[in-house]
Amino acid sequence: MTPEKVALSPGSPAPKPRSNGTPDNRLAAELTRALGPKKVLSARSERLNYRYDAIQFGETPLAVVLPETTADVVTAVRAARAAGVPIVGRGAASGLSGGAAPLRESLVISFTRMTRLEVFPERREARAQAGVVTLAVTEKARPHGLIYPPDPASFRTSTIGGNLGENAGGPMCFKYGVTGDYVKGLEFVDAEGEVHRLTRDAYDLAGLLIGSEGTLGLITEATLRLTLPPKHTRTLMASFPEVGEAAEAVSAAIAAGAVPSKLEFMDTACTNAVEDYLAVGLPREAGAVLLVDTDGDDLETVEEERALVEAACLNAGGTVRRAGSDAESAALWQARRSVSPALGRIRPQRMNEDIVVPRSVLPDVVREIRALGDASGLPLVQFGHIGDGNLHPNILFDPRREDVHAVHDLAHQIALVAIRHGGVLSGEHGIGTMKRPFMREAVDPVTLGALWSVKRALDPSEALNPGKILPDEDEAHAHP
Amino acid sequence: MNNEIPVSALGPQGEVMAHAVDACVHCGFCLPACPTYTILGDEMDSPRGRIVLMKEVLEGELPLADAAPHLDRCLGCQACVTACPSGVPYGELITSFRGWSEPQRERSAFDRAKRAAILKILPAPKVFSVAARVGQYAKPLAPLLPAALRAPMDLLPERVPAMQPSARVTPAKGKKRGRVAFLVGCAQQALTPNFNAATLRVLARNGIEVVIPEGQGCCGAAALHTGARDEALRLVRRNLDAFDPDEYDAILSNAAGCGAGLKEYPVVLHGLPDEERARAFSAKVQDISEYLNGLLQSGDLERPMPTSRHLTVAYHDACHLAHAQGVRAAPRQLLKAIPGVTVAEIPEGDLCCGSAGTYNLEQPELANQLGIRKAGHILSTTPDLIASGNIGCHTQIQSHVRRQGSRVPVMHTVEVLDLAYRGEL
Ligand SMILES: Cc1cc2nc3c(=O)[nH]c(=O)nc-3n(C[C@H](O)[C@H](O)[C@H](O)COP(=O)(O)OP(=O)(O)OC[C@H]3O[C@@H](n4cnc5c(N)ncnc54)[C@H](O)[C@@H]3O)c2cc1C
Ligand code: SF4
Ligand code: SF4
Repeated sequence: MTPEKVALSPGSPAPKPRSNGTPDNRLAAELTRALGPKKVLSARSERLNYRYDAIQFGETPLAVVLPETTADVVTAVRAARAAGVPIVGRGAASGLSGGAAPLRESLVISFTRMTRLEVFPERREARAQAGVVTLAVTEKARPHGLIYPPDPASFRTSTIGGNLGENAGGPMCFKYGVTGDYVKGLEFVDAEGEVHRLTRDAYDLAGLLIGSEGTLGLITEATLRLTLPPKHTRTLMASFPEVGEAAEAVSAAIAAGAVPSKLEFMDTACTNAVEDYLAVGLPREAGAVLLVDTDGDDLETVEEERALVEAACLNAGGTVRRAGSDAESAALWQARRSVSPALGRIRPQRMNEDIVVPRSVLPDVVREIRALGDASGLPLVQFGHIGDGNLHPNILFDPRREDVHAVHDLAHQIALVAIRHGGVLSGEHGIGTMKRPFMREAVDPVTLGALWSVKRALDPSEALNPGKILPDEDEAHAHP
Repeated sequence: MNNEIPVSALGPQGEVMAHAVDACVHCGFCLPACPTYTILGDEMDSPRGRIVLMKEVLEGELPLADAAPHLDRCLGCQACVTACPSGVPYGELITSFRGWSEPQRERSAFDRAKRAAILKILPAPKVFSVAARVGQYAKPLAPLLPAALRAPMDLLPERVPAMQPSARVTPAKGKKRGRVAFLVGCAQQALTPNFNAATLRVLARNGIEVVIPEGQGCCGAAALHTGARDEALRLVRRNLDAFDPDEYDAILSNAAGCGAGLKEYPVVLHGLPDEERARAFSAKVQDISEYLNGLLQSGDLERPMPTSRHLTVAYHDACHLAHAQGVRAAPRQLLKAIPGVTVAEIPEGDLCCGSAGTYNLEQPELANQLGIRKAGHILSTTPDLIASGNIGCHTQIQSHVRRQGSRVPVMHTVEVLDLAYRGEL
């Protein structure tokens, strides 16, 4: 795992300022010739801004293409192939695993201008180009009485292409599923510049591309399934003196048969960070807070489910507050969505984990991680989609104050807790560069070999987003 | 964001800048809020991208001239500040950066002359009034002029009214409830003298004595935001001398840009001798809508007369009111306090109209695109009236709404209230 902003660690050589002007490399010149200057960024000041995502700084790309059509993507891929330059796909660069940050001099293809979006209410479908912002799909579908459920906290910013790249999920996913569950078809450009259109029958090749973080193909368009919104939604917030109790309440509520549409958890540090920012009246003193929505078309069932959750929370030692109005529940959910960035107020950098563990072991896992954090002396916070067993332990740090090795160490120990309890390393943020070093511990060599075979079949020359997800093959064999 | 900014070499403003850069976690939450990102769709013209560009320049990794085109496109609307959960003080960063970088800019003679003219004319109401009237007569020639000169003319109203100087003290009517100082503003004195006249009438009617302290001048925001820091400091100190915060319940402005500027004084003077004085001063500054809403909430505002027919008022959030000052509810509450008025929310309401101080003079093309978009959104609410709290937005919106063929009146929030009091709505 690499800490954020690798390129700027003290002592790294400062690149010499070079001035703007005509393309300073052959690839940029060739692309400018083929696509025109408006779709190609070749000045260093422009390219500098395409070397990071929300977690990491990488290498400055040789050129950036801002395609408007699939044909533009094809042109760009072919030019990069001819020049022997690797290709990194990029959406809004809100990714939290370093996925969109190039590790070497590359061509970045940024999809933010591919924003065509059509809704077909009679088929309950939307067709979205890769750069469409996630929230826009629901906004455009709503007048037709439809919604698009996958709702990562970043949904105002992130793109459909990026969501597909990471198979993004969000609070709604416990009940309604993740991005991949809403994809009916895909259009993608492969490493050679060929365009493919996939549906989900025969071999589910679309399924393979979803979550592949731009390492198997560049997604240019997706056909998405829309659904009817539930008629009724009820929200409650429960607070607990201690994190483990919150996890116990979750396990109990689900065992009792409740299927909340959202089941989110924040520990005390998160609650306080958000409260500092939004002041919506979250209980600052609580060790952990749960936010729960139950929904459906039958109000009675929705209320019953809320009662089940409420009882489980009370039993586990919690205090419960019901949201009295839509405005109140909207405020609570805005609070949850703001956790991640609000943490930036505590320390400028963070190591963000994305583990998933079986729900039955949640209380142990949450407590063990808390204890590791306390022992390390580093600021550690936990939040996540606890209904799915998806936790985001975050280590907050300032490289000027905290020892980066200690941060790595703690991150590794946390990953081991997850693996020890039968969990996995990534629920939704992807492997990227951040979790790549742990892959060998998490995935057995035979499976890793199979993953490599898939990669080789679709991208034999490793042109697509190299250095992400899969650890080097030799190493994989060397350390079974 | 980790930075290697040589803070000590940059002085007190260096601290402000380094802190802002540090606070950004490059999460990208600000991207959809940014008007230039919305239109251009590239990272360099986004808040996050601009922060990185400024960081690179400050660290000596990127020549200023390379970053400048993208930084110049920033409207300073601060929509990104509202959107940013990490609390990155972007406004402070860009303002400090412009102040730091302006002396190092290489500008063409034409550019320099244009900027100098803007900075001379805007803050001097009398000069502005003359210039505006000359411009008005020259309007028929506009199509023949280069875009840079055409833009300001396009914005002039059809009729530039004569200047109306305001009385130094406007006494309270009826029971005296308070005493405030008022910043009269620059351009609006010349372009829309009724903003101030209405403000004085409404305040007096509510028992507030209004003092217009002598010696006051331009708030300095235009100078500050275009990087003319020395000039800005001079203007700031002049106002600190003119207004004694202890003498008044509040210091009021009815122009969102100026109000935001006044509230910014402590940042401008950060680390300088007058910082404390600036703090005391800006603690008293309020937008007119905030102050009147205070009266409304405490039950001290005289009730406006009902309108003659039902009116839909599209309220436009001026960036410097909504984003820079965080004032959103107050003007809406005031408008809703008029019986018969419904306030319409404008789609994409958080997106700047493109006026942004001197922006439509410096970036006419982007300003124009934003103006068209804003006017379209406003008209989609089929309003009977458009209200806003800033002279810049007022001229921009009026000109674009007219160009889209609508005659809907565009007013200051206080003008609407004033008309309601007089039973003329
Ligand atoms: C504050 C915050 C909160 C977040 N909350 C959540 C959350 O609740 N749930 C969640 O799942 N994620 C969350 N994320 C992570 C991130 O927003 C998601 O992973 C999102 O899906 C990334 O979308 P993007 O458009 O920003 O993609 P990017 O970050 O630009 O790219 C992500 C990956 O997809 C690849 N990619 C991008 N576009 C394409 C394409 N067209 N074709 C092929 N590959 C492509 C990239 O190469 C990269 O590997 C959060 C991030 C932040 C900053
Ligand atoms: S929202 Fe704030 S922290 Fe996030 S990228 Fe923008 S300025 Fe930085
Ligand atoms: S101030 Fe406005 S234009 Fe400038 S970066 Fe922020 S949102 Fe964009």
